[in-house]
Amino acid sequence: MEEQLSLLDLVWNASFTVQMVMAILLLASIISWYMIVNRFLYFRDAHDEMYRFEERFWSGIDLSQLYREGNERASDGQAILGMESIFRAGFKEFSRLAQQPEMDSEAVIEGSRRAMRVAVMREEERLERHLAFMASVGSTSPYIGLFGTVWGIMHSFRGLANSTQATLATVAPGISEALIATAMGLFAAIPAVLAYNRFAARVEVFSNRYDTFTDEFSGILSRQAYALRNRERQES
Amino acid sequence: MPRIIVRPALATLLIHGLLLLSLTLNWGVQDREVVKAKPAPTVINARLVDASEFKPKPKPKPVTKKPQPKPTPKPVVKKPVETTKPKPKPAVVKKPKVAAKPKPVPMAVPKPQPAPRITREELARIAREELAATAAAEQASATGEMSATFVALIQQTVINYWSRPPSARNGMEAELAIQLIPTGEVVSVTIVRSSGNSAFDRSAVNAVEKAGAFPELQTLPSAEFERTFRRFRLLFKPEDLRY
Repeated sequence: MEEQLSLLDLVWNASFTVQMVMAILLLASIISWYMIVNRFLYFRDAHDEMYRFEERFWSGIDLSQLYREGNERASDGQAILGMESIFRAGFKEFSRLAQQPEMDSEAVIEGSRRAMRVAVMREEERLERHLAFMASVGSTSPYIGLFGTVWGIMHSFRGLANSTQATLATVAPGISEALIATAMGLFAAIPAVLAYNRFAARVEVFSNRYDTFTDEFSGILSRQAYALRNRERQES
Repeated sequence: MPRIIVRPALATLLIHGLLLLSLTLNWGVQDREVVKAKPAPTVINARLVDASEFKPKPKPKPVTKKPQPKPTPKPVVKKPVETTKPKPKPAVVKKPKVAAKPKPVPMAVPKPQPAPRITREELARIAREELAATAAAEQASATGEMSATFVALIQQTVINYWSRPPSARNGMEAELAIQLIPTGEVVSVTIVRSSGNSAFDRSAVNAVEKAGAFPELQTLPSAEFERTFRRFRLLFKPEDLRY
């Protein structure tokens, strides 16, 4: 009497191609899960950071004071991410350009705006990291699994052709083991697709917030730039 | 920053580990029923049936043999009476019962035994047919009772196919997990709990494998079959051995 079919035995006795497919899918699943959790934590942190910074920014604090605080944290070795890094990029560029008396206010604002746009790009890139991998796992791993299944079933039917007595028992284990590949493909794909969609939507939210902040901040900066240039003109 | 590397790695390992665990552990569903097979009474049972089968045969035999030893008509008449008298009662009535009464019977029975050449398998088949008949008769009754009769049928069949290894002793217990398909065929037999004696274990497994199928189970409604007989456990436990 044959032993009870166990899942591990099925995987272990599968043909080489099917085993390879399973290995690829397992790897894809592990990596995509790693990235999902990694992104989840990163997005949560970025979200918290964004709210914390916005609150601080609109609390009426002196901007150069805020910049100095950021400097202290950067010198402590803490990475400055998200909205604060945009603010720092814009503010640094603004203060550097404002010190040059030959630059008029338009040029100062244009320069700081450009610096902020670059920072926003960099932040978006950071947010979007790993998302492409999730998307490709989500779209291709069902096909990889299907390939493994088709291959396995092909094999077990070829075995059926060779045997004189064709019973269900001769093909059933082969088909069962082949179907595991599809199951694994789906197991890898479903979370990856769900996570990709969710994270893509969140990236969208973040980049909107960053753009809004950029506009608001450059409004503040332009007010300051005009005030600065007016004062200089009156003094001269 | 290391937090954002370590935690996802741990979470990933956890998720895949849990998946693997759930797949490997829940693959086999828990078996429901424990059918207890107590092989001891059966040995005696088998002889009883054998004797009753033997009963019709002697009739032609004396007829042919009678002419030769003519002068003795009395023993010839007496003998069938002697054998028939005790037999019908134990054969029919006693079989399902415990082996309390049979003690005297084995002494009487072995004498006629050499004459009929009924093999163990035939015996088993006969016993089984009888049980199947009773099972079929009770089909109209509730399914619970029905499965009870089928339990009895399985017990009886397996016991009849059991050949006792010399090393079997009282109190040995082997638990087998048996899997059937709706046609009544045995798909797998595995030892769940060993008796500690490999010969005994093997004999128990062999008994089920020789039984091969219980086609009578086809008459059982499929829901009832799934519930009780798809997978069940058979407890093999000889009790009334003399040593």
